[in-house]
Amino acid sequence: MREAYETNNKLQVVNAIKDNDSKILRTIYANNYPKIEALVLKNNGTKDHAKDIYQEAFLAVWQNVKQDKFIPVSESSVNGYLYTIAKNKWMDVLRSQGYKKTIVASQLQHFEIKDEENNGIDDDILKDKRLEDVMLAFKNLGEACKSLLRKFYFEKKSMNLIAEELSLDSASTRNKKYRCMQKLRQIVLKN
Amino acid sequence: MNDLNDISQEEFEKIEAYLHGELSGDEVVSFEDLLKTNPEFKTKFEDIKAVLTGIETQSMKEQLDDFHNDVQSSESELIVNEPKVRSLQWKKIAVAAVLIIGLGSFWLFNGSSNDKLYSEYFLPDPGLPTTMSSTDNYEFYEAMVDYKRGKYETAISKWESLSKAKPNNDTLNYFIGVAHLANKNENLALSYLESASKNLEFPLIDDTYYYLGLAYLKDGNVEKSKESLEKSTLENSKSLLSKLEK
Repeated sequence: MREAYETNNKLQVVNAIKDNDSKILRTIYANNYPKIEALVLKNNGTKDHAKDIYQEAFLAVWQNVKQDKFIPVSESSVNGYLYTIAKNKWMDVLRSQGYKKTIVASQLQHFEIKDEENNGIDDDILKDKRLEDVMLAFKNLGEACKSLLRKFYFEKKSMNLIAEELSLDSASTRNKKYRCMQKLRQIVLKN
Repeated sequence: MNDLNDISQEEFEKIEAYLHGELSGDEVVSFEDLLKTNPEFKTKFEDIKAVLTGIETQSMKEQLDDFHNDVQSSESELIVNEPKVRSLQWKKIAVAAVLIIGLGSFWLFNGSSNDKLYSEYFLPDPGLPTTMSSTDNYEFYEAMVDYKRGKYETAISKWESLSKAKPNNDTLNYFIGVAHLANKNENLALSYLESASKNLEFPLIDDTYYYLGLAYLKDGNVEKSKESLEKSTLENSKSLLSKLEK
């Protein structure tokens, strides 16, 4: 019984993340932020640093779950994973050139994670050049296409629902989606 | 990505259907065959896949600032960090208050038995520790000081103005509700406590249900009162509930 419950629970978290369930994602976001903020503030960072680092980490966790690179067993394992990634990211910032000059090694003592633990956990898909290009192109895509594609691929609404919203039949909606994709790919190519 | 225009709508939809797991078994086999044998098709496939991931990721990214609006204050963090202090104070004050109220209620209250029960159990939440040095929630804690001094009206008006900016903040809703209740306005308290109880992750959820139960009791709605008390794990809730069941 308990096992069944846990399996169910695990599937729920994974499915919610894969479906971009904004209610659940919002909760995960809000629950984990304070810990990261505290960590960054304690270690020479500002609130803005904390927010940037946290959002990067959040996206990475979300993508890794989507791509089955990380399979959480429960919501608390998502929390732990998110914390570790954010912590690693902040550590990378502190180690980077800009920070090295100003920070003495002893100030890094709060970090207890050893290097070998980091390996493999943060294979950051967001650094992929092609993905970055597409993201930038989509960011600047005209609102009509942007909103159509967002409904399909992010909100995962059904074809029928979207067609209804646009007052079009489904063939025209599909064609419109195709043309928006072409437009987006053209912008990616130009850049 | 070189031969942009040679992805036809049909090809595109096929790739999309494959990625979304919408192809039948046979179709999957022939699709994967094509991927293996036709490098050009494979390139198109990778391209569409990257574009779809990009759309999704950028959409998610654009939501994050909105998510962030929920967390900009670190109130809930403070609550989580100080449960020990809080519960100790709670117990001491509770013991003292139950004695005082218990003795007092013998001659003060001649109302119905539910009113008596309410008075026996109601005690304002002791509030949060107000150490202001390291917090930017100055206004929140300033109102907390008023609240602790029993200036409920002042505290309520300060919190309500904060609440306009953050209508869904559970900590604010909780304390505004409790302050209204302490100020003998159970009607006003109900809606705030109801909103605070919507978030099951709220660290004070048990207290919220307890006070919600008390507010309904004061309001004369015994059924609703029991419903809320049942959801709270506090000892006080259980003992009040058992008296209501009699």
